[in-house]
Amino acid sequence: MTVRTPEAELIVLEGTCPSEEAEMLLQRLLATPEAVVDLRRCESLHAAVIQVLLAAKPSLQLPPTDTALGTWLRALLLPPVTD
Amino acid sequence: MNELLVQFGIESRELVAEASDGLLQLERSPQDAECLDRVFRAFHTLKGGAGIVEFAAMERAVHAAEELLSEARTGRRKISTALVEGCLAGLDQVGQWLDALESSGALSEDANDRAEALISRLAAIDGFDKKPTTGIRAAKPWVAALRARHSSRGDAITAIRYAPGADCFYQGEDPVARIGTLPLLSAQELAPLNPWPSLSELDPYSCNLVLMALTAAPVDSVRAHMQGHSGECEIVDLTSASSTVAADGSIFPRARAVLQSQLTLLMEGAPKQFQGRVSSAGLTASNVLRSMRRDDDAQTVRHATDASLTAKSSEPLRRSLERLLAPDAPMPASPAAPPGPETASRTLRVDAQRIDALVRLTGELTTAKNALIHTTAQAQIEGLGLAAGLTGLAAVFERLIGELQQSVLALRVLPLRTVLQRFPRLVRDLSSTLGKPVTLYIKGDHTEADKAIVEMLFEPLLHTLRNSIDHGVEEPSVRVERGKPVVASIQIRAARQDDRVVIEVEDDGAGVDVERVRRVAVDRHIATEEELQAMDDAQVIDLLFAPGFSTVATVTELSGRGVGLDAVRTAIERIGGDVSIASRPRHGTCVSFSLPFSVMMTQVMTVEAGGQRFAIPVEALVEILRVPRAAVSGVGSAQVLVHRERTIPIIDLAGELDGTREPSPDAEEFIVALAAVAGEFIALRVDRVGERMEIILKPLEGLLEGMRGITGTALLGDGRVLLVLDLKEMLS
Repeated sequence: MTVRTPEAELIVLEGTCPSEEAEMLLQRLLATPEAVVDLRRCESLHAAVIQVLLAAKPSLQLPPTDTALGTWLRALLLPPVTD
Repeated sequence: MNELLVQFGIESRELVAEASDGLLQLERSPQDAECLDRVFRAFHTLKGGAGIVEFAAMERAVHAAEELLSEARTGRRKISTALVEGCLAGLDQVGQWLDALESSGALSEDANDRAEALISRLAAIDGFDKKPTTGIRAAKPWVAALRARHSSRGDAITAIRYAPGADCFYQGEDPVARIGTLPLLSAQELAPLNPWPSLSELDPYSCNLVLMALTAAPVDSVRAHMQGHSGECEIVDLTSASSTVAADGSIFPRARAVLQSQLTLLMEGAPKQFQGRVSSAGLTASNVLRSMRRDDDAQTVRHATDASLTAKSSEPLRRSLERLLAPDAPMPASPAAPPGPETASRTLRVDAQRIDALVRLTGELTTAKNALIHTTAQAQIEGLGLAAGLTGLAAVFERLIGELQQSVLALRVLPLRTVLQRFPRLVRDLSSTLGKPVTLYIKGDHTEADKAIVEMLFEPLLHTLRNSIDHGVEEPSVRVERGKPVVASIQIRAARQDDRVVIEVEDDGAGVDVERVRRVAVDRHIATEEELQAMDDAQVIDLLFAPGFSTVATVTELSGRGVGLDAVRTAIERIGGDVSIASRPRHGTCVSFSLPFSVMMTQVMTVEAGGQRFAIPVEALVEILRVPRAAVSGVGSAQVLVHRERTIPIIDLAGELDGTREPSPDAEEFIVALAAVAGEFIALRVDRVGERMEIILKPLEGLLEGMRGITGTALLGDGRVLLVLDLKEMLS
């Protein structure tokens, strides 16, 4: 299991997050809407998981900007900036 | 008829209903792309089904309609009334074929001619919209917006907009990864396809994403990367001035090569190998197309192959392949994925007969339970030791069987939509035939009722709607004079009220002409002048339901089909319902149907007379009275009772139902069950009053069928048969 809830208002996603984890993430976010989602130890996220994050718009802790995943997730999950 | 054909029939009817529904909606709002998709999908599936059971005529006809819709989807054709009517005509034809299929197991003999007639009718429909054809080539707004947001990415030469199919996650696809791994990716964006639902309604496994990307890779390598995707994908070459769009399903290089080689094959070779060459080229090409989920094109190629073989000329197939290979060939978008597997797995299609068998079994079980309760009571009376245990057990049985019965009856429940959805189409046709514009509004079509009730409602409701349009709604000129909107409105409102289902059909027409009803009633000897004088307007209007009544001087083709409103009332009353008309002159008419939710359970009160037990439906029962002999007076041979200033006829149950038995001997006191039927009272003289119970009413069968005064039977716990009285018949 790569979705963990170490604290009441914190959901940690670690390693590879396959599509099966979308449901689990959704359930946790429904139970704790204010929860912060920590993606810092994530290696990859399936589109279904990303879809839940997009729909729920929780506060995120993203991997650093100098990593490929960090840049990629920022581009996907943070609203595009219009010039 | 084999199982496959049966399934095909059921599914096709559902699809026809869905498509008609959608077409009507489309006619009102031609811009509704979602609705257009739905209609297109229905036609597409219908065609697929016809292909599977090998009804070539139907397949061809539906294909022709599907083509039109496909052109409308790509914006090359406008949704016109002619298009909607053409497609509806196609559905009508399919309906007739399905009828023929059900009765004979095959399409009618003239199926081919009919299909051709339909195809030429559809082909004659004009309405190509010239503008959007250029629109396909014009730069898409999303491309401009995407480039503007990533203006620093000057190296991008290809733009992609990818909307994966809703079920793509189930197919093991990761669209984000697919776009993320595009070669030379320079920008990527994600957005919801439709607005996000609330989180609690979000289905995490139904893909609702649109992915957009810019890449420095050329169009061809992007196409290769996207090969085999589900859903819709647009790939735009930013380097070419015209920005041609490769619509979804454009032919990939390898497939293109295969098709090209089939074309070459067709052009050369000795004439004697003609047949083999055409068949194999056609087969290969259609297989290639099918592997790319381009079933429509595959089918076109198949038809072209057939045509080539018949005509002994490679020309049709060649032309068809050339069309596919043409660089700007307009490609119909592949149909969107069918509704998610979620809906499919949550419903189960079960043969109605199996459900009925379950209902029957539950009925038997109820009878057995009643027997158990009876035996338990006997045991208690006889003071057997086991009585207490048995009583407890019987109570458990009673509860469980009650629950079982409810669940089983719930299986037979259908939403009224199943019958109501047919009316928009019919009203549309009626309204155009009569030249009276009418809009039909349906409310509460989710209201549920037992299958038997829902299914029998069609005729009565259709008759009511016909009456409304034919007699209720005024001619448009009259409506204008009266200051009413030219387009009349008819509302069908359905709602559940306790254990009844109430359906009202209300129009904003002229209302019932009460004076005319009075005149006609006299003319046709339905009521005398004197009787009419005593009646108020409501009672006069009720005469419309009297047998043989029709206020139209000339019976129109529409409303006069030999069935009057009396037939409507009879049909409704047979299932324990009621129908009435309320009218406001110049404002409109409202016909209300009140129906039982279920036909199964009937609440009755048992009574005994002459040693026989009978049941009186509780809904008719007013009260049980003990009447002193003095309150009963004889009028001729009949006896009447004066109760609360009403004179009520007394029927001696023992004598009435069994002519050979002597009427109950006069006693000091009479026990009567007072019942009301259609506003009139009768008093049934009985010997004893039993208990109230719920029974499953079985209609009379066999020898008992014609028996007067009895509506049906139920089996009692002790094995005796309970006769349920038909008070209405007794009164007449």
